[in-house]
Amino acid sequence: MSFLTIENIKKSFDNETVLHSLNLSIKEGEFITLLGPSGCGKSTLLRTIAGLIHQDEGKIHIDGKDVTEVKPKDRQVGMVFQSYALFPNMTVQENIEFGLKMKKLDKETVKQNAAKIVELVELTGKEKSYPRELSGGQQQRVALARSLVTRPKVLLLDEPLSALDAQIRKNLQKQLRSIQQELNMTTILVTHDQEEAMAVSDYVYIMNKGQIAQSGTPHEIYTRPVNEFVARFIGNYNVLTREEVSNLFKGEKNFKNKMYAIRPEAFSEDRILDGYEISGKIQKTSMLGNITRFELEANHVSFIADRLHKIDEDAQKQETKTLYLNRKDVIPLS
Amino acid sequence: MKKPFYHYITIGIVLLYLLIPLLGTFQYSFATSWHKTILPEGFTIKWYVELFGDLRFLKSLGRSLVMSLGATILTLVIMVPAIFSIVLYAPKLEKMIQSLIVMTYAMPGIILAVGLIRAYSTSGISMVLITIGAYFVGILPYMYQGTRNSLRNINAESLMEAAEILGASRYTAFQKVIVPNIISGILVSSLLSFSILFGEFVLINLLVGGHFETVQIYLFQKLSQSGHIASAIVVCYFLLISILSAIMIKMTRKKKEPV
Repeated sequence: MSFLTIENIKKSFDNETVLHSLNLSIKEGEFITLLGPSGCGKSTLLRTIAGLIHQDEGKIHIDGKDVTEVKPKDRQVGMVFQSYALFPNMTVQENIEFGLKMKKLDKETVKQNAAKIVELVELTGKEKSYPRELSGGQQQRVALARSLVTRPKVLLLDEPLSALDAQIRKNLQKQLRSIQQELNMTTILVTHDQEEAMAVSDYVYIMNKGQIAQSGTPHEIYTRPVNEFVARFIGNYNVLTREEVSNLFKGEKNFKNKMYAIRPEAFSEDRILDGYEISGKIQKTSMLGNITRFELEANHVSFIADRLHKIDEDAQKQETKTLYLNRKDVIPLS
Repeated sequence: MKKPFYHYITIGIVLLYLLIPLLGTFQYSFATSWHKTILPEGFTIKWYVELFGDLRFLKSLGRSLVMSLGATILTLVIMVPAIFSIVLYAPKLEKMIQSLIVMTYAMPGIILAVGLIRAYSTSGISMVLITIGAYFVGILPYMYQGTRNSLRNINAESLMEAAEILGASRYTAFQKVIVPNIISGILVSSLLSFSILFGEFVLINLLVGGHFETVQIYLFQKLSQSGHIASAIVVCYFLLISILSAIMIKMTRKKKEPV
């Protein structure tokens, strides 16, 4: 039974279609991500769910209720903005209490709920500070607390972590996920960072040009991209044409699709039974922390292969490398 | 970096040039008589006593205050919500406001006055109200700039969205979130508008003149009677404007400093 459904949402701005008849359905307590490059319509979709943008066509249901024509203030959704949008004239406490006061709850309830959420996002001791006195990560946690405290039916996150540096972002991702699970909050995250999407979501929707290019669990998306766009977007896939693949695996003729994708880490240095064998010339070696990336050329086809970093790296001296690949790791794209 | 000494000399000359008339006026307002000497022959406060003893002065001061404050408050109440709505919800209309503002600059005071007299003198509407109306238009540019810049600074659009999603109506959001954050910017433009209107002479003199004496008209008339009293008026006026400016500077500074 889906908790939030989006049917045939269409939206265009100035004759340019941003969303093409989108359909989506999310179960209660699920954490889904809308992933895509900038301009793919993911933020527009999120803002349409919030009611900040009115769709041209289509319907939105939340918890069995048609909210298509409901104003944002009555939709019972929470939203965290990329720019945080904290109220600068209010303290952390007042920012968090704002939504509760708008619900006209009594003072005691307001206080208790706010205190609980402050503890949950680990902001204890900062209640009396003003937003400008906090660091970016703390401000983001205030924004999160402010949205969570009213117990919205759906939490919408619009690139909430993109303005933070890598370390804080990783920590907040973990925190976000654990808070979401603790409250069993149905959550939609918008991001252009595929690692972030993989790390936190139950389900990922990859968007391109106002349409959903692929949807699935992070594992499905990563291991089985269905088309060229997804393969190029979600990692460092080798995306090769039919001719290139045939050249690479000399003697193989039964490639029927136009494009194929191969994960760089699928190449192995150990022999694989009934697999492909490729010997390639090393063009370039780069060290990317925990992995070593080889740019190779075999039969006039360039490709990359990754391997976990080894302490006694002698790759620089080598000129050619023999690699093996499972047949199922050559993924046909549509 | 050490600044060359001629910088100081240049600044000194400019300062002297600006300050000497003020200093002269200030001394003249306290002078018993000042004819053939470099400095006044003696000092007295009798011009001030006379000035503040004159009911006409106090009345004209009151009129000036009512006119300037009235027009400023009217602009504040009407234009701030209007500019807010236009900037956020009807950005296409912003061009119209901008052309309206350019027109206020394109219109010289004397032409404005003659035009207003021709248009309204036979309409039966009090010319005082017409003047307030003209003032309203006259201070539009300051109010528009001040309000719009404050709205931009606080990123009003996302604050409104955040407040609305948290369950606030647009009116509540404007009142509780937007106004407290733009109030200092708006107050500065209001003070500026007020001091400009307080010193306005051309329109008020031509439109209502002697029927409705404001401080500026009173000053103009005193100028031909007693230089000492005229100087005293200027000093009082200057003092008031200085106080207003000081408040403005303090308010703009406060905004930038973290509390």
